[in-house]
Amino acid sequence: MTDRFSPGTRAAALVLLVGAACLVLAPLAPWLVKWPVALTVPATEWIGAAVTWLAGFLKPVARFAAQMLAYPMGWAGQVLIHAPFPLTIGVFTALGWHLGGWRMALGALAGLGFVLVSGYWAPGMTTLSLVAVAVPLALLAGGVTGIIAYKVPALRRPIHLLLDVMQTVPTFAYLTPLLLLLGFGPVVGLIASSIYAAPPIARNVLLGLQRVEPDIREAAAMNGANPWQQLFLVELPTASRQIWVGVNQTIMAALSMVIIAAVIGGFDDIGWAVLLTMRKADFGNSLVAGLVIVIFAVLIDRMSGSLAETRPAHARKVTWAILALAVISTLAAARYLPASNDIGLLGGITDWVNDVLGRFIIAFGPLLSSVKTTVMIYVLLPLRIGLDHAVTPATWGFPWSATLSVAWFVVAALLAAVLAWRGHLLAGLVLLLAAGMLKLGITHLPWPFVLLGAGALGWVAGGSALAAYAVILPAIIMVMGLWEPALLSLYLSGTAVLICAVVGGLVGLLSALSPAVWSVVRPVCDLLQTIPMFVFLIPVLMLFQIGEFSALLAICSYAVVPMIRYTRQGLVSTPEEQIEAAISSGANGRALLTEVRLPYATPVILLGLNQTILYAFSMLVIAALIGTTDLGQQIYLALGQGDVGLGIAAGAAMAMLALVADRLVQGFALKRSEELGLHV
Amino acid sequence: MAVNPSAPPAISCKGVWQVFGVNPKKNLDRAWQDTGGNVRETALLLRQHGLIPAVQDVTFDIREGEVFVIMGLSGSGKSTLIRTISRLIEGTAGEIRIGGEDILAADAKRLLALRRDKLGMVFQHFGLFPHMTILDNVAFPLKMQGMATGPRRARAAEVLELVGLKGRETARPHQLSGGQRQRVGIARSLAVNPDLWFLDEPFSALDPLIRRQLQDEFLAIQADLGKTAVFITHDIAEALKIADRIAIMRDGIVVQIGTPDDIILNPVDDYVREFTRDVPKGRHAHVETIMTCPDPLPAMPDDPKLSADMTIDSALAACMALYQPVPVWGRDGQMAGVVSPSALAGALKAET
Repeated sequence: MTDRFSPGTRAAALVLLVGAACLVLAPLAPWLVKWPVALTVPATEWIGAAVTWLAGFLKPVARFAAQMLAYPMGWAGQVLIHAPFPLTIGVFTALGWHLGGWRMALGALAGLGFVLVSGYWAPGMTTLSLVAVAVPLALLAGGVTGIIAYKVPALRRPIHLLLDVMQTVPTFAYLTPLLLLLGFGPVVGLIASSIYAAPPIARNVLLGLQRVEPDIREAAAMNGANPWQQLFLVELPTASRQIWVGVNQTIMAALSMVIIAAVIGGFDDIGWAVLLTMRKADFGNSLVAGLVIVIFAVLIDRMSGSLAETRPAHARKVTWAILALAVISTLAAARYLPASNDIGLLGGITDWVNDVLGRFIIAFGPLLSSVKTTVMIYVLLPLRIGLDHAVTPATWGFPWSATLSVAWFVVAALLAAVLAWRGHLLAGLVLLLAAGMLKLGITHLPWPFVLLGAGALGWVAGGSALAAYAVILPAIIMVMGLWEPALLSLYLSGTAVLICAVVGGLVGLLSALSPAVWSVVRPVCDLLQTIPMFVFLIPVLMLFQIGEFSALLAICSYAVVPMIRYTRQGLVSTPEEQIEAAISSGANGRALLTEVRLPYATPVILLGLNQTILYAFSMLVIAALIGTTDLGQQIYLALGQGDVGLGIAAGAAMAMLALVADRLVQGFALKRSEELGLHV
Repeated sequence: MAVNPSAPPAISCKGVWQVFGVNPKKNLDRAWQDTGGNVRETALLLRQHGLIPAVQDVTFDIREGEVFVIMGLSGSGKSTLIRTISRLIEGTAGEIRIGGEDILAADAKRLLALRRDKLGMVFQHFGLFPHMTILDNVAFPLKMQGMATGPRRARAAEVLELVGLKGRETARPHQLSGGQRQRVGIARSLAVNPDLWFLDEPFSALDPLIRRQLQDEFLAIQADLGKTAVFITHDIAEALKIADRIAIMRDGIVVQIGTPDDIILNPVDDYVREFTRDVPKGRHAHVETIMTCPDPLPAMPDDPKLSADMTIDSALAACMALYQPVPVWGRDGQMAGVVSPSALAGALKAET
């Protein structure tokens, strides 16, 4: 009989049964809902003790290395901060011309001009100098890792796993152990950036080398190149385009991390400027400083990105002319130039922004806060603590009663029955599951239900190995005693991903259908993807103050981009032949979309969802700065208190959640593309 | 096509195996012993254990100055075989000698030296280095030899001229057409003036017209340089056109080795026959393959001046109205043999 039902249906039915059992037995056996504290291990303390012990040995070496690094950092700082600003601007403009012609040159000129008049020149240059030292370190470490992974295939799997972990462990979690090891100071930010920025280049070096055509590789060997000559004279240059893509990603990651590292304080960089002004609620200045970050990000991204493209050569003469002009104007005006810090032409503007903002808040404050409260009461709270707790006379105007619970489940059961009757048994079961989860709230879900649910998803997506993976990692989090913040993280990121999936999916669909929409959406997406995560906090904080709602908005605005891009990409990449075949079979536009393009696009859309989930998790930690209560907050707290154990444990928990989500969605994507006979 | 049969073989393969999978050497040895040295059964046993015997017990000698074509369908093991001979992949078992030297025993240093001085190879998808100019591509093997910049550029330019690409030295590979790219590939493989010339389906990726043109140029260059060439193809017409001898491979086994005439006129099995089915035999087979030397000589009233290296088609055209046996003359002007017009016609009889 069992083979009448699909694996998904069977898994859903089992999960539903266990969930119902937990619900019924909860009054008798409270341990079925909440994992007993007595059965958790003091993992944070153990980890803390172990790391502290280990750090005792490593400290001298680490501090020595840190001191060594302080030199190049100091030099870079000296050069960038103390160089006369016309020279710096001139060099960047010339570079812009060389890489991208007059548009990029003008962009560099205007962008750095804005930085100068914003009054944030010196902090900006501090940030750049940190990036300038972190990037070569990251490139070296990542490049060597990529080459090793290529040369020693046996190491590829472990290296891939290491890179996955490095990219899913939240940024703040790096900082706590580094603080312990190195003490306070900019070197911590530098090393954290190098670690965080190394994976992209490692991945791209490996990918590029793997993609070198076998004929080219064999030709090098047959021409008598030894393995080193083969690698450096043929394979690496052949892979150069892919490697430049990696360089671009590494630079952007380093910039993003350098700015985030400002939370440990201690150096006067642009991230610190944003943080400080945000704390003082001086949003005019936050905006300007944020804009400086955006300008850096866009300029650096476009310049380094152009390295990966075939670009027309731009006249060398012009490059030299711009440089000469910069030198001449520096020399000529040396005496009259004010110090860069004194050029704060925007003081008036920031005051004006503050003023306008103040009036805006007075005018629209009630509206904004009513939006916020409505969403909190009717969406976020029920999801978080369940309808039975969220519905109270104070919020919804009436209390939740036992009768309502019964009615709720009866309606859900009826709807599910109708769905099942019509042949959508799985949909009916999922509806029942959703009804139960909404009634209970994500943070009140019984642990057997969560673990089994994850396992069931894993089993459907990728068989028993993935199922074991999806059960064991969350179980570790539970035993470590971080279950509650983990569920809160799950609730926040889950809600954000849901919103992103719906909104991003729709925008992606519209962008696929209408080139006009895409021409508007595309630059917005480009910009959103270039801006360092940190900057997203400024506007939401300005409009909605501290709290979960602001955090959610920040997460969504950062994480929605991949969903939009992949949805559109999946939809527009349907092979022309399939579309022609469908049209000649008489499909209209709607049928074409639902019957041909959507099914074909699902693997790509699923990959977009996967990216969105990972983005949401990484933003979750940054959002801790504006008031969340989840794992991210634990990591942030640990950073403030220097609690290495908590920092690492919470960071690991976060990474485990992200890894499980990543593997599950990838499993579904892989399964779907195998069904379609595609190679993703 | 000056082949000297008495010279030692340029390449000699003995019992060469190439098995892919887990622990190929051990598994091959065991299967070989278990089956008492039966090739077919060994291969079968290996397949049952999940291994892939891509090349099975291949034995042949390639003579100095000979164009030796290895022909087969895709998956027949021909590309694997040429890579085993050039040691781009390590053979599982057997003996491969190049100029008498056991190259499976050569260490990395010796192999490098061999490749730098003695071997040249042309690839199906050209294998040109995208980041170098055409000239630098051709000069690359010379650079590996350690030749100074000036001389190696001069030599590269010289070889480029040989393949008709003079004037394109500073172009990049992506700026050339497929045919031009393969000329660069050929030029590069000849830059060090190698003794052995490996060509792995060099013309398969090209359009038919360009392909024929390059085949002709290959023949012209080969007539000039007289290299020992190992040429891989899946195209029987190409094989017949350029080969001195052809080895036909099927599922990892060499099923027949012979001259083009042999292959056409005496296919060993249905597989080979199937290959040659659509080949116009009269245009590819020569009189010498069907002439006889009877003793005593029969009466030969007519002499249409047949020569031994005439194709059967042209020989038939010359004795359309004749019925008696006629003499066949060798290149040296001596009588080489006798052929009767009916034998000529009989050779053309379609295989069924």
